[in-house]
Amino acid sequence: MLKYAYNMLVYGTEPIEDGIARVAKYGYDFTEVVGEPEQIPAARIRTALDANDILASSIVSIYTPDRDLVSSNSSIRANTVDYIKGNVDHAVALGAKIVTLTPTACMKIRPEVDIKQEWAWAVEGAREAATYAHDHGVRIAVEPWNRYESYLINRLEQSIAFVDEVDHPGIGCMADTFHMSIEDADIAGAIRAAGKRLAHVHFADSNRAAPGRGHLNFTPFVEALRDIEYSGVCSFELLPAAGDVWGVLSGAGAPEFLDQYTEESITYMKNIERELGLL
Amino acid sequence: MSLQIGLSSFVLASPFSDSDLSVASDVSSMGYEVLEICIEDPALLSAAAINKAAAENNLKISICGAFGPDRDVSSDDPEIRVKGIAYLKECIDLASAVGSPFVSGPMYSTTGKTRLLPPEARKAQLDLAVNNLREVGEYAATKGVGLAIEPLNRFETDLINTLEQGVELCKKIALENVGLLIDTFHMNIEEKSLTESITKSQKYIFHVQVSENDRGTPGSGQVRWEEFFSALKTINYSGWVVVESFLPTVAEIARAVSLWRPVAPSMDYLAREGRKFIAEAVTASGL
Repeated sequence: MLKYAYNMLVYGTEPIEDGIARVAKYGYDFTEVVGEPEQIPAARIRTALDANDILASSIVSIYTPDRDLVSSNSSIRANTVDYIKGNVDHAVALGAKIVTLTPTACMKIRPEVDIKQEWAWAVEGAREAATYAHDHGVRIAVEPWNRYESYLINRLEQSIAFVDEVDHPGIGCMADTFHMSIEDADIAGAIRAAGKRLAHVHFADSNRAAPGRGHLNFTPFVEALRDIEYSGVCSFELLPAAGDVWGVLSGAGAPEFLDQYTEESITYMKNIERELGLL
Repeated sequence: MSLQIGLSSFVLASPFSDSDLSVASDVSSMGYEVLEICIEDPALLSAAAINKAAAENNLKISICGAFGPDRDVSSDDPEIRVKGIAYLKECIDLASAVGSPFVSGPMYSTTGKTRLLPPEARKAQLDLAVNNLREVGEYAATKGVGLAIEPLNRFETDLINTLEQGVELCKKIALENVGLLIDTFHMNIEEKSLTESITKSQKYIFHVQVSENDRGTPGSGQVRWEEFFSALKTINYSGWVVVESFLPTVAEIARAVSLWRPVAPSMDYLAREGRKFIAEAVTASGL
């Protein structure tokens, strides 16, 4: 039986209290919190979580150009490690167990220096973050992004290689079905290859809308999660059809991503679980 | 025109030039019947050399555009719009001279322009695309050539992402020689249903490009090929099907390529195995 979260990023600029109340209304147990600890104090989020009997599953880190683990600028690299540690602290304050990591700034698609050097910086920074996370009972989850959002880790097998190289209990892999629909040849096979390394999951359909709104077949994916005995949370990270998703979310947003997709997503996935006899 | 399988020059050399036409014999011996030449730099190509290579190797030629930032019919900058129109007319002249039934590609904008425009600005950009492509389409008609407009996924353009939006654009241009190029790579990201999107836009589909979900060898990934070709069978598609991927060295549309890791053992492998797979899928569908 899978555990579901809805990512608060999807709700854009609306007050977090409204978002947390909404996931509670539609039967979620968890919420995924945006990694901007300075924008909304942990205490305020905690109050809303407690009021709605919702748990925080994870912190989704936001990799802006000044949060780039492989920047050629060493102070940006150091700032990025600090940022991730700050998200670990935020996770601890909220009771979340996962902080997401992608080693490049979002939408950066060109390496600045030799890619082997960048990979080495990424491993070094991730190991420091993983050590800190592990000491605080949190795990870092390395998320591959599709080719338009990053050049370094696009595919789950690259995340597996990265996690194996970091070689620390405080780090694992992450799978996002939207990115995998573009980059991976065999989604279920990739999940099985990750096995126990899989620390976190993002769900979205092939067009990044609610599962069922695109053409991705989620059944083999859920079967693979069952087979590897995945015990983490699956968070719906649904985003509008735009290159600039931050722009959309911080602007007018998209109304279907609120009540409609929140309700549809969990209903759709639970139906698959029911068909597989998991519920 | 009966269904024939082609290979994109983006798999072979970039920017493609007359001196690269020596690969035509390889393309032909792999079993391809069409060579799709992407015009990154028109100065590097001549109709005479293309026609010679095509005749010697029994290939038909398809002409496809590459829309870098300096040639954009819906740019805010009028000079760049003029250059965009001039470039398309050059492609049309070449298409006419080498017997390509159309010029194809995402000709409504520059590839990689994904701005977040407010609705009025977006409509203004679309109007520029409509008006300028109508002018280009009228010119193409005088040369006996069509336009096959390609929707691209959200990361490559903000203007036309789905077949439905493509049909809307064609309806606004309102010329019989203007239709669509559909591409499985983009459809895999943007379409809810391959079948529905194809059947709903059937009379506009002039041209088809095939690519795996990761731009790798067709047949090696997640694209639902059986569904795709059976939808083409439903609409009795009888045009060309061109295998497309990209060399990592493509200059004009670098953002579109965004290939950071090998997606096939080699480009030669992709071309050979891709053709074999597509030919079998076409046959199996009854096309």
